[in-house]
Formats: sequence, structure tokens, C-alpha cells
Amino acid sequence: MAGLAAAAPVAADSRGFRRKPGLAAWLVLAPLLAWLVLFIVVPTIMLVVVSFAERDALGRVVYQFSFDNYVRAFNWVWLKVLWDSIWYAFLTTVICMLVGYPVAFFIGRAPERWRGILLMLVMVPFWTSFLIRTYAWITILSKEGLVNSLLMSSGLISAPITLLYTPFAIVLGLVYNFLPFMILPIYTSVEKLDGAMIEAAYDLGARPMRAFAQVIIPLTSPGITAGALLVFIPSICMFAITTLMGGGANPTIGEVIFKQFTSGRNQPFGAALGTLLLVLFVVALWFTRNSREEE
Amino acid sequence: MKNHITLMAALAALALAGCGKPPAATSSSGPKVESKPAAAAEPKAPGSDKLNVFCWSEYIPQSVIDQFTKETGIKVSVENYASNEEMLAKLMAGGGSYDIIQPSEYVVGALVKEGLLHPLDPAKVPNLKNIAPQFLNLPFDPGNKFSVPFMAGTVGIVVNTDLVKDDIKGFTDVFQDKYKQNIVVLDDAREIVTWGFFTEGVPINQVTDENLAKVKPLVSKWLPLVKVYDSDSPKTALLNGDVAIGVVWGGEGAILLNEDKKFKWVLPSEGTHLFIDSLAIPKASQNVANAEAFMNFILRPDVSKQISDAFPYLNPNLAARELLTAEQRANKASFPPDEDIKKMQMFEDIGQQASKIDEMVTSLKVQ
Amino acid sequence: MSAFASSFFPFKLREVRRLLSGTRIQSGFFGLWTAVVFAFLYIPILLLVIFSFNASKLNIRWEGFTMQWYSALLSNKPIVAAFQNSLVVACVTTVLATALGTIGAWMLYRYRFPFQRAIGLLIFVPMVMPEVLMGVSLLVLFVQLLNIPLGFTTLIISHTTFCFPFVLVGVQARLQGIDPFLEEAAMDLGATPVQAFWKVIVPYLMPAIISGALMSFTLSLDEYIVSAFLTGAQTQTLPLKVFGMAKVGLNPQLNALSALFILGTIVIVLLSQLISSKKTT
Repeated sequence: MAGLAAAAPVAADSRGFRRKPGLAAWLVLAPLLAWLVLFIVVPTIMLVVVSFAERDALGRVVYQFSFDNYVRAFNWVWLKVLWDSIWYAFLTTVICMLVGYPVAFFIGRAPERWRGILLMLVMVPFWTSFLIRTYAWITILSKEGLVNSLLMSSGLISAPITLLYTPFAIVLGLVYNFLPFMILPIYTSVEKLDGAMIEAAYDLGARPMRAFAQVIIPLTSPGITAGALLVFIPSICMFAITTLMGGGANPTIGEVIFKQFTSGRNQPFGAALGTLLLVLFVVALWFTRNSREEE
Repeated sequence: MKNHITLMAALAALALAGCGKPPAATSSSGPKVESKPAAAAEPKAPGSDKLNVFCWSEYIPQSVIDQFTKETGIKVSVENYASNEEMLAKLMAGGGSYDIIQPSEYVVGALVKEGLLHPLDPAKVPNLKNIAPQFLNLPFDPGNKFSVPFMAGTVGIVVNTDLVKDDIKGFTDVFQDKYKQNIVVLDDAREIVTWGFFTEGVPINQVTDENLAKVKPLVSKWLPLVKVYDSDSPKTALLNGDVAIGVVWGGEGAILLNEDKKFKWVLPSEGTHLFIDSLAIPKASQNVANAEAFMNFILRPDVSKQISDAFPYLNPNLAARELLTAEQRANKASFPPDEDIKKMQMFEDIGQQASKIDEMVTSLKVQ
Repeated sequence: MSAFASSFFPFKLREVRRLLSGTRIQSGFFGLWTAVVFAFLYIPILLLVIFSFNASKLNIRWEGFTMQWYSALLSNKPIVAAFQNSLVVACVTTVLATALGTIGAWMLYRYRFPFQRAIGLLIFVPMVMPEVLMGVSLLVLFVQLLNIPLGFTTLIISHTTFCFPFVLVGVQARLQGIDPFLEEAAMDLGATPVQAFWKVIVPYLMPAIISGALMSFTLSLDEYIVSAFLTGAQTQTLPLKVFGMAKVGLNPQLNALSALFILGTIVIVLLSQLISSKKTT
């Protein structure tokens, strides 16, 4: 196997780091490709097919070509819902970045034997059930909850303030649950920073803030980008937290799609909304990746 | 580097701690595979000792299941769902071979119409006699040829009397400007629209475009007043004091009444609907005899009482009700007076209109 | 002067300069910040642990100390079985997703495959696709096309599908800026590509691999919607049980379970750290 890989065109090596794959490389990639085709491509095709279908009274898909679902999808209601979801996801990503970066940096620069432990400690709270965590937050934020009773007894406020079922609560819930997905990728970028290089940046007389902004942030940008992707994309469709913490008055796109499969009983329409979401993201990613590779 | 390896070892140790003792269920996919071809050759094998129950989560207490196995030797495997549609999706896909399902009344109607249920043998379910007549022979399944009632319930108003001093009688009293942002309602589009139908005097099952247009102005006035939409646990917002009034399931109301005397239960004067969750046997069942035995077991007074103890819904089982404590029976949210039940209406399947209702409510939420 | 000082304080001067130069101030700030964020992460957990000793069943008000939920938990077969199922699925998923993601990231980085960019985009599809769509389409795929009975297999496949992109994206980020000659150097020393990957690349990627594994484990452990569609009767996972319980009030036994699991994990990690630091010293 190794021999086969070595037999890959040597000429490619001189032109650049990336080689043409030999048979062995294809074989190694095969499981991933098979997985992609079977469990990602095929379901996606099924999704697209269903989005052009209709459904009967019991919600079963009837394979009869129809464009209605897409016509219906371009309605301000769903666009507004999508926009709200993207906005919340964006806010969440930015806050996670600001809150998470220093943590990731601290862990990445901590003595080596502490790094693993600290990393674990970031993740362990999330090994509880999401509902239990969220209900804990509800207990903290509610009108008769922890925060309000503390503020009241300290005399800072005279009447309970509304914290729960507000946009603030939504963002708090999202940030809480996605923070580790920002911290971990940034950590992996910080961890490989060369200590000597950081010292040099500081020693060259650069003010710490400037050294940080001009040397360290750019060096860790792959981690920041990865973290942003891992937080932003999943938080768009997240709706369980949004509904519980926000009271459900601001539906998100994930919830709307989910409801097409339950109370709305309209799978094809849900599939159409899902397909549009998918197209939107693939196009967006395509362009961002393109522009990055051209740089 | 080294510490990463240690960490991995620790994780592996943890994994082993969890996986080391695989649950008895690990080998379960085996028999399931076998059961398919076997069933094709010999359907409804007599003497089979298995039963696959597909039911709502938290609706049949584990003690009841255990007791059934103890008494009959039939091994029960339970799978749960959280919505009728989730159940339908799995049933239609043919994912599992289910012997008992627990559909709500309008779904029973639709399943009967589609011929997807196995007819019952009345002789095998004699305990049906325990059920109050008002829950039998209903339009969704005339003569109970396919289903038996499991639990029923209704939707009503819960008022926190510490915060609301007015006399709340119906939906119009709830949805007032002075309670703006102080209301929790079920996050269920059909429910919300139905309250509008009751208030406007529209028959609740005539979900036509005209009727929807008729209630739309009313509902669009109501929704901005709502603080929380929650179908799963509307009691939370009421218990925490975040809202003062709620339109919630009877079972939720019953829990609230038990928890604190400050909560009051009101049946809306405009009218409300009655839901009945039933037990039925899917056409594809391979253990029909066991399923019928299970149904009969559930309808036994002592068993049904256990279910009521765990989940305070409206128990249609008269014989079981007699075993309940006076306090349980006095809970108005669990057991509304008979004359009120008679006035309640039931949902029929509205098929594709469900999607329209959903769109209307979503658009009014984000307006 | 400086030479004089450094002869007296051979190592201190640099330290003092660093202290004044702000690095220390910065790392002090980062340390403080990290402490605050950890407090934020653990506040709900603390509350959850406290409430596992609460006599009230409804989990909202404190009504006195009890151990009853812990003893009830131990005899609650369905919850314990669901928890075990969850662990089985999460462990296998973590191994599969980490392997798939790491090897995938490396291969896509190292070689130029045709349709490279298309493959790179496909990886994001499971992250973008709403869970319910994934659940329903995989349900149809498994049951009607592949004829796989619902159970551990279907759960693990579906969980791996939405977990491995997290590993892959993380590993890709770590690969950016890797010394291109790291592998070459190893191979010049006589290593085969496979050896070079195992002995050089994997160690270099280890922090990203660990991060990816942690994320996969967490995502799998907490997945509800996809699991709901793809579980069989015998493989109900914990989130499925928990969601049902919200209806009747979350059972404090769940708090007890979470508390035990978290404390157990922390103890194991600290112990392993203790053992390994003893070995190294």
C-alpha cells in the first residue's frame, strides 16, 4: 500500500505540496467518499425530490411533480423567519468569539499538563442533557428565579425584571450552548503557536495590544474561522433553545421546518424550505472559499 | 503531547465504564431482523411472547409494563414518540413492527379511513365495559371496531389568582390588553385557531379558507399579547411566575392545581375540545393476540388507576375512577363535570388544511 | 549596569521586563477572564447538582434535602438503560467520526482529488441540514432502500454523519500552516507514508483530534431529533427519555444522573492526570 502511494507521480512534488492521488490514496479516501455518497448525497437527493412532490391527507409524500412548495416558500413570512435566525446565529457567533478567544488562548498557553484538563472542563458541562441545562437556566432567569431574588434582596431593584423569554435570553442560551464549539478550534490554533515568536513580538517593543492584534490574531485565524463555522451554521437551525428561552414568540427557520413534519404535516414544503436553506449555504460557502483560495 | 494521550486513555476508560456492561438490549436488532421473514411465512404466530408497544413518551408507567410481563410472560419492548406525526412517519416507513400504537382521536379516524388498523375482537377485550359510555362509539371509530380509549383530556384556562383578581370565564377574558405579555398558550397552531373558532362560533372542524379568514383578525389581536408558547411544559412559566394566565392541557392544569392552591382551573365559556388518546393495533402487527391482551390489561381498573396516579389526565375508565382518592377525583382539571364534557367537541382530521393553519399562525407570530 | 544587574539576577531581569511589558498583565487578564467564563459554564451545573438533592419533584423551588432521587435512580431501569444506550452510541460515534474526519481532512489537504471543492462543500451539508430533514430522509433510506432495521446501527451511522464534519473542520484548521516538509522529512528518514502519517502527522494534529472527539461525543450524547426518527425500541437514548419527561415535569433523578456523570468524569480525568504526572516525575 505504501509502495503504491510512493509510486504516485514524483513530478507533482516539485511543483507543490499537493500531490495527485495514487490508487492507495483513493483507497484511503474511499470510506469518506462512500459515506458522503450514501449518507449525505443520497438523502440530499431524496430531499430535493420530495420538495417537488405533494402529500396526501395523512402526510404521506405523493410523487407528483409540483412547483407549489417553492412558490409558497418565497413569502415574506419565511424570509423574515430566516432573517431572524441568521441574525441570532450571527450575534451568537460574534459573542462566542469575543468571549471564547481569551479562554482558548489561556488554555492554549497554559502549562502543557493542564491543557487537556482545562479543555475537558470546557466540555463536561455539556454532557448533561440539554433540556436539564436549559431548565436550569430558566430557574435562574425567571421572575422568581435566582438572579431576581439576589437583586431584590440586595435592594438593587424593587420589582422583578424580565430576563426570561426575551431576545437576551435567546442569545444567552445560544452562546452558552455553542461556546465550546468556538473555544476548541481556536485552542488548536493557539496551541501550535511558537512561544518564541510570541515573545519576539512582545520583545520587539510592540505594545501588547498591538502585538496581539497584529501577530497573534492573524496566526490563529484558521482556528477562528473554523470556530465561526462550527458555531454559526448549526445555530441557524437550532430551535429547541430558542423556543424554550425565548418563549417561542420568535419562530426560527429550524422550528418552521420541524413543524412541517409535525403539526403542519407538509413534508414536501419542509423539504423545499430545507433545500433552499442548503442552496443558500452552499452558494455562500462556495464564494467565501473561492475568494479565500484566490488570495 | 503526553497529556493528550493520557486524556485519551481517560476518555477510553470512561467509555469502557459506559460500554463495558452493554444493556441487555444490545443484541436486540437480531430478533427484529429475523421477525420479518418469519412473519412473512407464518403471520401472527400463535404463542409468540413478544409485544412491541409504540406509545407517547411518559404516558404508560414502567410499573404497568413490568406488571404485564410478570402476569403474562410476554416481553414488552416500548418505543416512544413525541407527536402523532412522528409516529405516523415511522409507522408508514415500516421502521419497526409495532403491535400497539397510541394515536389521538383524529389520527385514529384517518388511520381507519386508510385501512391501516387491525380490527379488534370484542371478545378479547371484555374490559372495554369499564369505559364510560360517553367515550365509546365516537364518530372517529364507530362501534370501537379498531380502538379503545386510553386517556382523555381537554384544554382549559389556568389562572394565577395571586396575580389576576378578575373573574376569568373564557378566551375573551384571557386575551385582554391588560394581560399583555402575561399569557402562556400551547404552541399548537390548530389549538390556537380552534379557540378563535369557538369564540366566533365557527364549527371547529370546518377549517375552510373562509373560516380561517374569519378568525384571522381575532387571532392576530390575540397573539401579540402572548408571552410564551409552550406545548410540552406550559406549567413551567406559570409556576415560575413569569406569566399569570395560561391556556393549557388539562393534565398540565391538574399538576398545577396539585402544586399550589393559588391556581384556578376554568373551562372556557366559549367551548373547548375533548381529546382522546386511544390504543390501536396496526395492520402489520405480528402479535395481535398479545396486543389484545395488553389492551384488555390496560383497561383493567387497578392498572388504569396506576396510570392516573402517574399522569393526571381525564381517565375514561369508570371502574378505575372509583379506585382514585377523593382528592384526585375532585381535581377539576383532570375531571371536568360530565355536563361540560358532553358539550365539548372533538377534532377530526383536517388533512392538508393543517399546513394552512400552521402558516397563518406563524405569519401572525412574526407580524 | 545591565551586565552588572544580570550577573546578580541572571534570570530575573527578563522576568521583570516581561512583567512590565504587559505580557503578564495580559495573561493575568486572560486567566481572570477564563475563570469568569468557567463560572458561567458551571452555574447551571451547580444548580442542577443542588437540585438533585431537592425534595420537590417539580424542580423549581427548594423544599428540603433528600437523597431519594439517587436511590430511585439506581432502581430506575429504563433511565439507566437509556443512559447506557446513549454512551454506547456516543462512544462508537466518536471513534468513527474522529477517524473519518481526521483521515478525510488529511487526505483532502495532502492530495488534489478531482471534485475537491465539491467534496469540501458536501462536508458542510450535514451541518446545514436541519435535523428533522436528516432524520426523515435517513429513516426512509435505511428502512426502505437499505433494509437496515432501526437500532444501534442506524443511530451510529446518523450520528457519525453529523459529527464528523466538526472533526474535519477542526483538523483542517490545524493543518493550515503546517510545515509542508514535516511529512517529507519523515519519509526522507525512511518512513512510509503510513508511518509518516502515524508518527508525525497524527501527533501534530492531536490537539485538533482531541477537540474533534470531544465535540463529537458531546453532540452525539445530546442529540434528540435525529435519534427520535432512527431509534429502535431497544435503543432509546437518554435525550429521548428526557424529552418525554418534560411533560410531567423533569424528574430530579435526571439531575442525579447528570451530577453523577459529571463528577465521575471529572474524577477520572483528574486521577489520570495525577497518575501521568507521577510517571513523568
